[in-house]
Amino acid sequence: MPSTVVHAGFALLCAAALLGEYYDRRALAVLLVAVVIPEADSVLGFVMAGAHRTVGHNLVIPAVLAVALYYDTAVRDRSAVRERLSDRWIAVAWVAVFVHVFAHVALDWTHLDGVNALWPLRDRFFRLDGEILYSTADGLVQTFVDVRVEPETGSRTVDAGAGGTSESVHVSNPVQPSDPATEPETPVERRFPVASTGWRLYLVGLGLFALAARRLQGDDLDADA
Amino acid sequence: MATALVNAAVGALLAAALLGAAFEPRAVAVVVAAAVLPTLDAAASLVVPGATNALFHAVWLPLLAGVTLYWDAALRPDGESRLRRHGGPHAVRTAWVALASFVVAGIAPALFAGDGAALLYPIEGARYVFEGRLGFSTREGVVQTFLAFDAAGPGVLPIESVGTAAGDPVASRINPDGRPGLDPGTDRELRLVETGWQLVVVVAAAAVFAVRFGVTR
Repeated sequence: MPSTVVHAGFALLCAAALLGEYYDRRALAVLLVAVVIPEADSVLGFVMAGAHRTVGHNLVIPAVLAVALYYDTAVRDRSAVRERLSDRWIAVAWVAVFVHVFAHVALDWTHLDGVNALWPLRDRFFRLDGEILYSTADGLVQTFVDVRVEPETGSRTVDAGAGGTSESVHVSNPVQPSDPATEPETPVERRFPVASTGWRLYLVGLGLFALAARRLQGDDLDADA
Repeated sequence: MATALVNAAVGALLAAALLGAAFEPRAVAVVVAAAVLPTLDAAASLVVPGATNALFHAVWLPLLAGVTLYWDAALRPDGESRLRRHGGPHAVRTAWVALASFVVAGIAPALFAGDGAALLYPIEGARYVFEGRLGFSTREGVVQTFLAFDAAGPGVLPIESVGTAAGDPVASRINPDGRPGLDPGTDRELRLVETGWQLVVVVAAAAVFAVRFGVTR
């Protein structure tokens, strides 16, 4: 996985960009917890095959949370959330959903086997990989979603990077460094990566830079320093 | 090299994160433009050999801009910033964020992925790139290969270098073969997104702006 440190780095940048007047240490602490919690599905791997990148890394749960939060705070006459939380923490909850989707699930989506994006509706790992370019010879080309039309039958196949299911895919993590189905090497090597490539170190740096710059600017948003 | 679209997206995220009260369309445009500016040294490479990822990717320009900004805002003898007088109350803050965007969103992506940035150009032509890994393994302990003090290469900094500015120039949309002279006939590619993570950054930046402008309206 891109390590939790990388997720946290990009989450910090997104949080600084979204929180506005609610940006403070307590809000950031809550958001960092929201980034770390989904990794707990690594531990579930002992009781459920392929749990990592499945239970905590899908787009269904954040979508349900977002709809529930919207319904409760904006549609219902009496909001159960508003009775307990101030506007500030409702805003933080929205940002938490945002950073979970973009800084956690989306970044893991691009890595190794990807994420089990539609679990529990559908058990299938998806991997986001490709490029978009504009060439004078071929025009606009994108290879993230591969749409093929069978010339004879006219049937269309769409390949959005689908891979195996939670039965067949094991994404290695420090808790379960190798696929439980294979014979482990001894002694077991557990790796806790911080950044395995340059761009991941870059995302960590981006988050730290945003943190340091906001600190330097001070708490007063109207200041012009 | 990360694409200009990625530079712009990171610049936009920095604008949203750091502009504070100065966050308005015009200031955002300045900050995003500053993020895209370094990639335009590709245009200079049509005349100057090897200017791509070198001319505007060196440390000198932002250093000079930073010193000038600091002097104008804090040290000027008459005590009044000329930038603030002419540009309005938010001009100084916008200028600092634009400078940060030039360095962090414009130069740094080239330094961390792909073709590298010639940080000390024109004194030295070596293009540096931070490529490696950092982590902890139960077998090997702390592993760190980003900084290479025994790096074999043309550069003086303890960072891996991937060629020199003039020796093996970087290809770009503006200048496909990287060498001086314009060839209108060649196939040009404008790379928008090269990998999955770049798409994530671009979409996240778009989403942040949808939220920021949506909420204020």
